[in-house]
Amino acid sequence: MKSNELDVPKMLRIGIILFLLVMTGIAICGQILIHEEKDYKINDLLDRGGYLTSLIALHPTKDLQGRKQDFFLRTLSEYSSYEGLVYCFIHDQAGRSFVSLAPNNFASQIPPDVQRASLQAMGLSKHTFQLNGTENTIYEFAKPIFESGQKTGTVRLGFKLPHISFFSFERIRFLAMIALLFFAVVLFFYYCIKLTLQPLKKLSQDLQSTCNGSDLMNSQTPSTNGVAFMVKDLGQSLSQIKEKLEKIEVDNMKLVSKLGVTAFEKKQIATILDSLNLGIIIVDIQDDVSHVNDYMLKLLKKSQPEAVGCSLAELLNHSDIQSFISQQEDGMNYRNGEYIETTFPEHAPGDTFSVSFSELKEIESGLVGKMILIRKITNEKLAEEARKDFIAHISHEFKTPLTSIKSYSEMLMEGEIDDGEMQKEFYNTINTEADRLASLIQNLLSISRIEMGSLAINKSLVKTELLIGDSLAAIETAAQTKHIVIEKNIPDNLSSIVGDKELLKVALINVLNNAVKYTPDNNHITFSLSDQDDFIVFDTIDNGCGISQEDLPRIFDKSFRSSDPMVREMPGSGLGLALTSEIVQLHGGEIDVESEPGEGARFSIKLPKEEYYLGKQ
Amino acid sequence: MGNNKKVLVVDDEAHIRRVIEVKLKKRGYQVITAINGKEGLNLIKTQKPDVVISDIMMPEMDGKTLCELTNSLKKEQSFLTIIMTCRISADEEGWTDDMQDTLFIEKPFSPSRLVDCIDQYFGGPSE
Repeated sequence: MKSNELDVPKMLRIGIILFLLVMTGIAICGQILIHEEKDYKINDLLDRGGYLTSLIALHPTKDLQGRKQDFFLRTLSEYSSYEGLVYCFIHDQAGRSFVSLAPNNFASQIPPDVQRASLQAMGLSKHTFQLNGTENTIYEFAKPIFESGQKTGTVRLGFKLPHISFFSFERIRFLAMIALLFFAVVLFFYYCIKLTLQPLKKLSQDLQSTCNGSDLMNSQTPSTNGVAFMVKDLGQSLSQIKEKLEKIEVDNMKLVSKLGVTAFEKKQIATILDSLNLGIIIVDIQDDVSHVNDYMLKLLKKSQPEAVGCSLAELLNHSDIQSFISQQEDGMNYRNGEYIETTFPEHAPGDTFSVSFSELKEIESGLVGKMILIRKITNEKLAEEARKDFIAHISHEFKTPLTSIKSYSEMLMEGEIDDGEMQKEFYNTINTEADRLASLIQNLLSISRIEMGSLAINKSLVKTELLIGDSLAAIETAAQTKHIVIEKNIPDNLSSIVGDKELLKVALINVLNNAVKYTPDNNHITFSLSDQDDFIVFDTIDNGCGISQEDLPRIFDKSFRSSDPMVREMPGSGLGLALTSEIVQLHGGEIDVESEPGEGARFSIKLPKEEYYLGKQ
Repeated sequence: MGNNKKVLVVDDEAHIRRVIEVKLKKRGYQVITAINGKEGLNLIKTQKPDVVISDIMMPEMDGKTLCELTNSLKKEQSFLTIIMTCRISADEEGWTDDMQDTLFIEKPFSPSRLVDCIDQYFGGPSE
């Protein structure tokens, strides 16, 4: 309402300004029109004056005298009343005026030099002069009269410019039309502008509502009448927009800063993921891959740009994993820690992998993605298999002699064996199998203690002669039973060694025992010692069935037994050589084997001499 | 005394083969022996034993493979298979569910108990 009250004087002011502008415009236009009309009339006067003067000069002087003079003067008087003719003088040859048409005493007001110049002119001449005491300009035209080639007189006509009135009817009508046109144009443009400003006004309102938000109801309604108000509103709106832009800029800076921190953190996380020794694939909720760590890229033989963006199914192309993830995604089945074991025959043949799945959730937005972890478990699987095999083997090795002992003793107790020789055989078997069991237990305990690092090694100076004497004595009975001769090749003055005598005895007895065990009856084995640099070498050469090239690399493995029937025929746990190897290594020595199937075997044990050992200390 | 039933003992351990052989012969059974599954398979095909007593862990061919390969032969001529096992877990005998006339005897076993099982298979004590 307030704005409407203010509109009336304002409109009045605008009206007055417009009126003054129109008046000024009219005055300027009037002046221009008068000036143009004056120029036109002067040119017209010059044309008519020259024409009339020339016309009169064509008449002979006698036609202008006498009776015809009255007619001439009357006609000229009528002409002069509205054509601006002020005077007319016709002179004879001597310069005397014989026709004079002019107001009283007017001839005396004409400057003499003008009259003289006119009389002396030989053609049409024109002179202007200012009438004394007035602003009127007189245009005088003169032309001589020629008759038969002789100048017989001179015609002089004086003209005055007709009065030009500003308020002539034509001019007023013309200016009124211009004013009308002007007002029409002003009105036209006013409505055009108003029409054009409608969208701007709406824009202003929109901007206000945008800037004020909920304060829209309290804001000042833009004036429907004034562009100024609209401009003012637009100005306010622009100020508010500027403030908002500044605020947005500050927020943007904060966001850029946060984005920088987030990018840094993301890079750090990616670095951490890349350093892990397991494969990680991160996908979004649409199963599009967003990150794959280095391990997984190497496994799949792909680069990060190739992997990122494609679908999980496209990247892995693995039905087992797809099926597992589908099951896990089913809410009923999803449990953390669930995994499957699978393989990637194309990328990592022979390896086994465990695949687990985690949902990535945020407190605010819920599920944001999924993470697939792929871990190589080949070694664990092999270790597990080896453990199972070892337990099965040891169980077999324990229960086999136990079965023999139980079976043979039961038959003896039940009196089923009457024959004395068979009874002796049965008792011997029970005894042998008990020894086998005891040996197995001893070997197993020693191996487990070595592996656990809890085996107490009582190192001391060991006389080599005593060590080999005790070891050979331990197998003597077994060799005699099979009528096997042990050929000894032992030099004098052997160096001593430093070590655990009992353990070293176990190592040597295992090797010697194998030689006796696998050498056929009535044969021989060779046991020789030699000094080689810093070592004493114990060579045991048998004439047994030999070892196949396939078995050779594995004979020192724990629980390995050859599949050769000749070997399997003999009782054995498969632990002996493994234990021997461990003991030799514990003493800083080496064990080596050379063999050909059917041609026996040569086991060499190298143990460091006392001097070497002490030197090392 | 055993009705001349033929028993094949398959074991790589000589002492085990020996004691079972002595026990069975005393009960009137004919006994043939093999030192591994491969040799046992040949004897089953050629000698057509009535009972096969086999160890599991053997070179060349183990007892499990021997059972699987000979199960189909039981349709033509049925025979009892007794597996001597060093059982370490309760579920490791599941593979015999589809095997015809197959028993387990766990090591260490009594020879008398083994022979009783064979006798029962043939309709009671043979004595």
